[in-house]
Amino acid sequence: MSYAYLFKYIIIGDTGVGKSCLLLQFTDKRFQPVHDLTIGVEFGARMITIDNKPIKLQIWDTAGQESFRSITRSYYRGAAGALLVYDITRRETFNHLASWLEDARQHANANMTIMLIGNKCDLAHRRAVSTEEGEQFAKEHGLIFMEASAKTAQNVEEAFISTAATIYKKIQDGVFDVSNESYGIKVGYGGIPGPSGGRDGSASQAGGCCS
Amino acid sequence: MDFKLGRINLNAVAQGVGGLVFGNENSSSNEDSYVERLLDRISNGVLAEDRRAAITQLQAVVAESRSAQLAFGAMGFPVLMGVLKEERDDVEMVRGALETLVSALTPTDVARGPKNEVQPTLMNSDLLSREADSISLLLSLLEEDDFYVRYYTLQLLTALLTHSPNRLQEAILTTPRGITRLMDMLMDREVIRNEALLLLTYLTREAVEIQKIVVFEGAFEKIFSIIKEEGGSEGGVVVQDCLELLNNLLRRSASNQILLRETMGFEHLLSILKLRGSAYNFTQQKTVNLLGSLETVELLLTGGLDAEPGRDSNRQSNQTVLAQKNALDHLLMLGVESPWAAVSVRCAALRCVGALVANHSQNLDALASKMLGEEPHVEPALNSILRIILRTSSVQEFSAADFIFKCFCENNPKGQAILASTIIPQAHSGAHDPLDEDIKIPFGSMLLRGLTSSESDEDLETCCRASSVLSHILKGNIHCKERVMQVKLEAPMTSFGTPEPLIHRVVKYLAVAASMKDKNGNHKTSTSSGFMYIQPIILRLLVTWLADFPDAVHSFLDSRDHLTYLLELVSNSSGTVFTRGLSAILLGECVLYNKSDDRGRDAFMVVDAISQKIGLTSYFLKFDDMQKSFPFLSAKASQQRKPLARSSAASMSEIEDVEENNVSNLKHDEDPVLMSVFDAPFVNLVKRLESEIRESIVDVYSHPKSKVAVVPVEMEQKNGESNEDYIKRLKSFVEKQCKEVQDLLGRNATLAEDVARTGGVGVSGSDQANGGRDRVQVETLRRELQETKQRVEVLKSEKAKLEDEASMYRNLAGKMESDLKSLSDAYNSLEQVNFQLETEVKALREGKGGPFVDVKAIKEEGREEAQKESEAELNDLLVCLGQEQTKVEKLSSRLAELGEDVDSLLEGIGDDLGLAEDSGDDEEE
Ligand SMILES: Nc1nc2c(ncn2[C@@H]2O[C@H](COP(=O)(O)OP(=O)(O)OP(=O)(O)O)[C@@H](O)[C@H]2O)c(=O)[nH]1
Ligand SMILES: [Mg+2]
Repeated sequence: MSYAYLFKYIIIGDTGVGKSCLLLQFTDKRFQPVHDLTIGVEFGARMITIDNKPIKLQIWDTAGQESFRSITRSYYRGAAGALLVYDITRRETFNHLASWLEDARQHANANMTIMLIGNKCDLAHRRAVSTEEGEQFAKEHGLIFMEASAKTAQNVEEAFISTAATIYKKIQDGVFDVSNESYGIKVGYGGIPGPSGGRDGSASQAGGCCS
Repeated sequence: MDFKLGRINLNAVAQGVGGLVFGNENSSSNEDSYVERLLDRISNGVLAEDRRAAITQLQAVVAESRSAQLAFGAMGFPVLMGVLKEERDDVEMVRGALETLVSALTPTDVARGPKNEVQPTLMNSDLLSREADSISLLLSLLEEDDFYVRYYTLQLLTALLTHSPNRLQEAILTTPRGITRLMDMLMDREVIRNEALLLLTYLTREAVEIQKIVVFEGAFEKIFSIIKEEGGSEGGVVVQDCLELLNNLLRRSASNQILLRETMGFEHLLSILKLRGSAYNFTQQKTVNLLGSLETVELLLTGGLDAEPGRDSNRQSNQTVLAQKNALDHLLMLGVESPWAAVSVRCAALRCVGALVANHSQNLDALASKMLGEEPHVEPALNSILRIILRTSSVQEFSAADFIFKCFCENNPKGQAILASTIIPQAHSGAHDPLDEDIKIPFGSMLLRGLTSSESDEDLETCCRASSVLSHILKGNIHCKERVMQVKLEAPMTSFGTPEPLIHRVVKYLAVAASMKDKNGNHKTSTSSGFMYIQPIILRLLVTWLADFPDAVHSFLDSRDHLTYLLELVSNSSGTVFTRGLSAILLGECVLYNKSDDRGRDAFMVVDAISQKIGLTSYFLKFDDMQKSFPFLSAKASQQRKPLARSSAASMSEIEDVEENNVSNLKHDEDPVLMSVFDAPFVNLVKRLESEIRESIVDVYSHPKSKVAVVPVEMEQKNGESNEDYIKRLKSFVEKQCKEVQDLLGRNATLAEDVARTGGVGVSGSDQANGGRDRVQVETLRRELQETKQRVEVLKSEKAKLEDEASMYRNLAGKMESDLKSLSDAYNSLEQVNFQLETEVKALREGKGGPFVDVKAIKEEGREEAQKESEAELNDLLVCLGQEQTKVEKLSSRLAELGEDVDSLLEGIGDDLGLAEDSGDDEEE
C-alpha cells in the first residue's frame, strides 16, 4: 500500500484504438477482444518499481468518442503522464493525433510527459502507418514513442514504465514542485517527504492565499 | 477584510431602509422604475462612485422585495453580467454585482404573494443558468484574489444548483477546469471551503461524471484531511458535509471504491468510527457523523450498483481490507458495547457487522471466534448479539442484530454447526434464572431459554425472536435440523408428562400467538407491532425446519391436533396473506416430505384432509395470494435509504423517535421486520417448495394407493375350497373393493365439488376458462406449426429435385457442347479433306486434261453432301438447344417463385459454357 510516489496518468486517443485494452493488459494481464465502448472515464491502478522505489500508477482511461471530449478534458490538468494512442491499422487515428496534442497542450500542465503509442502492432499485415512515420511524429512534437500490442502484451509494460521513468527523472531534476498536487504527482505516506510535507503544507497555505 | 465586510453591510443596511420605503408602498411599477433607474446609472454612469452607490442600492432593494426581484430579472442580467465581464479590475463593482445576483436568487424573508404566482427567484435562476457562458464566467471568478468575489460566486453557484441542477452540472462539466476550480476551493479559507463543500455535495448527488472528476482531483485526500482537521466524529456540521460528499462519491461507483481502497485505504474512514476519550458524550452532531461514516462502510460492503460488473469482487476486497483494519472491533464496539449510543447508530453498526462477514469465510471465522468484554466477563460476541436480540426493547435493533445471524449462517454450514453444537438435547426449561444472570451460559442454552420462556405476551415476542435465530441456524442444514430435532423439553408446569419435542412447543407458540390476536381483535398497544411478524417468523422456522427433512414432518404429524390447527390457519380469514400462505406451504411440506406408511399420517391422509377441509383450489390460491405480495416486499426492501443531508441535521432530535414511530404507523405489508423475514433466499425456498408441492399433490391423486390388490389367481376357486368358502372369500373381497370404490367416489366427489365451485367463482373461474382456451389455442398453434413444418419439408424436397434437374441439364448441356465440338471438328477435317482433294484435283487438272469435269463434279457433290449433313446436324442441335433454353427458363422462373437465387444457381453453368466461348475473360481468382 505504501509508495514513494503516486503518478496520475491519462490515456487518450480515438475510439477503438485500444486504450482500455492497454490498461487491462497492464493491470490485469488480460486481453479483451470485444470493444466495450468506454463511457466517460474508467480507472485502474498498479504498483511498479523504479530505481528500487515503489511507485503507484493511478491510470485514467478516457472515452475516445467525440461526444465525451469535453468531459475527458477535465482530466488533463491533474495528470503527470499521458499515453496518446493510435491504431497502426487505421490511418485516420494517426491523422487525428495533432488535434489530440492540441487539446493536451491547451488543458494539461506544461510538464506532462506524453508517450505516443502505435497500438495493435500484432496486426502487421494490415498496417496503415509505418513505424518511421510514428517515430517522425513523436520526434517533431517531443514525445516518447513505442509501438505496442495490447493483444500480445508486447511493449505494454514498457510503455507505462518508461513513462514513469521519465517523470521520475523530471522529479530528480527538480522540474516539479512535488508538493503541488496539480501536477499529478503525490509523495507517498511511507515515502520520501516532499519539501512541504503534503497536506499540512497546503492547509496552512490556505490562509495566505487569499487577499 | 472584516472592515470591508463591515462597510458593505453598513451600506446595505443604509440602503435597505430606502428599499423598505419603496417596499411599503407596495407599488410594483414604482419599484420597476426604481430598479430601471439604478440599472441605467450602472450602465451609463460616468462617475465611479455613483455607479458603485447605484449597485449597492440595487442589491439592497433586490434583497428586500419580491417585485424588485421580478423587475431585476426582466432587465438586470445583461447589465450585471457586463460588469462581471468587462470590469474585472473594479473589485467593488464585481462584488456588488455578485451580491446583487445572489440576492436576486434568494427568496425574500417576507414570502408574500399567492402561491401560484411566479417565483421570482426561480425565474431569475432560470434566466441566469440559461446561458452556459454565464456559468463559465462565474467559474472563472473563482480564481479572483478577492475573498468576497469567490465567496459570493460560490453562493451564487449553490443557489443556481438548487434551482437548475441539470443546467449547472452540464455547464460545469463543459467548462474546462470547472471542477478543478471548485476543488481548489476546498483548500481555501474555512468559510469558502465550507461553501464549496456544500456545493460539491449537491453537485455529486446524481452526476456520475462529476463524481469521477472530483475523485480524480483528489477528493478523498481532501475530504479526510478536512475531517481530521475538524476533529473526526466530534466535529461539526462540516464533517457531516464531508461524509455526505464521500458517500455520494462511493454510492454508485465500484471504481471509485476501488480507488479509495487502492490509494488511501480505509484507515482514515475507520478512525472516524473509533471512539475515544469520554465515549459517553454523544452529541446529536456526533450521532449524525457516526451515521454518516457507518453509511460509508455499508456502501463499501455493498460494493457498488447491482448491475455494475465486478461488484462482487470489489465487495469481497472491501470486506477483506476493512477486516484487516479491524473494522470488526470498531463496529462491535459501536453496535454491542455502546449502550449509550443512539439506537440508530447501534443498528447501523450491527448491520455493517452482518455485511462485513456475509459470504466471506475469513471474516465469518473471525466473528465466530470473537470475544467481547473484559476479564472475567469475557463472552463470545455472538452471545452478546443474541442477548441483544432477546432483550432489546427496540424492534429496529432486534432486526439489525438478527441480520448478523442471517449473514453469519448464509452459506456457512460450519458456522451453523458451531451454533447448533451448544444446543443441548435434554434442556431444562427452567425459567427461574433470568437471561442476564450468568454471562458464561453457552449460546445454545441462551437460545433455548429464549425459545421456551413462558407464554405471556412479552415472552412470546422473545420466543419469536429466538425462533428467527434458530431458523437461520437450520436453514438448508440437515445436520443441524437433526440435532435440534433431538431436543426434548420437560413438560411445562407438570412434571408427569412425557418430555415434549421442541418442534411441538414451537407449534404451540404459533397457536398462542394466533389466539392472543383473536382475543383482542386488534392488537394490544405496547408490543403490538410485534404481532405483525410473530406468526410469520414462527412459521418461517417451521417451514425451514421441515424442508427436505421427513423426520420433522413425522414428528409434526405425531399430534393430530397439529394438522387440524394448521388447516384452520390456512383458511382463517382473519390472518394475513403471509400467515395463510406460509401455513399452506407448511401443510404442503407434510405431503411433499412425508415418508410415512402409517395410515394415520401419510401423505394421502394429508391430501384428503386438505381437499375436504379447504378444497384444493382454494388451497392453491393461498400460494398465489402470497406470491403476489412478494414483488412488493422485495422492491421495498431494496430501496435505498435516503442519505443524510444537512437539512436533516435540523431534525436530528427526531431521528430516534421517528424510527420507533415508523414501526407502529406502518401497515402490515410494510413492516420492516416482515420484510426481513421474506428475504431473497427464503422467498426462493418458498417458490421452490410451492411448485414441488403442486406436483406432489397431483402425484398423490394420480397414484392412489389401492388397499385391495387384485390378483387374478385369487379370483379362482382354490383346490379343495368349498363353494361356500369360496363365495365367502369373494364376498369379503367384493366388500373391501366396494369400500375402496366408496372412498374413491368420495374423493372424486370432493374434487368435483371443488371444480364446480371453481367454475362459479368469478376470478378463478375465468382463470380456468382461460386455461381451457389457452389449451385450445396451443393445440391450434401446434397443429399449424406441424403443417408449416410439413410444408417446408415438401418445399425442401422440391427444391432438391429441381437442383438435381438443373445439374442434369447442366451435364446435358455439357455433353451437347462436346458433341457440337466434335461435329465442328468433323466439319473441319471434312473441309481439310475437301481442301486436299481440291489441291489434288488441281494437280490432276494441271497434269491431265481429261477427267477434269468429273473430279470437279464429284468434289461439288461431296461438298454439298457434307454440308447438308452437317447443316442438318447443326439444326438438330440448335433445336435441341432451344428446347433446353426454354426448359431452363421455365425452371428458373419456377425456382425464383420458390425463392431460390436462380442467378447464383446458374452461375456455375454459365462459367462452364463461357469457358469454351471466351476462355478466361471473366476469370477473377
Ligand atoms: N489485434 C489487436 N486488437 C486490439 C488491440 N488492442 C485493442 N484491440 C481491439 O480493438 C478494439 C477496441 O479496443 P478498446 O480498448 O476497447 O478501445 P478504446 O480505445 O478503449 O475505445 P473507446 O473506449 O471507445 O475510446 C477491441 O475490439 C479490441 O479487442 C491490439 O493490440 N491488437
Ligand atoms: Mg475504452
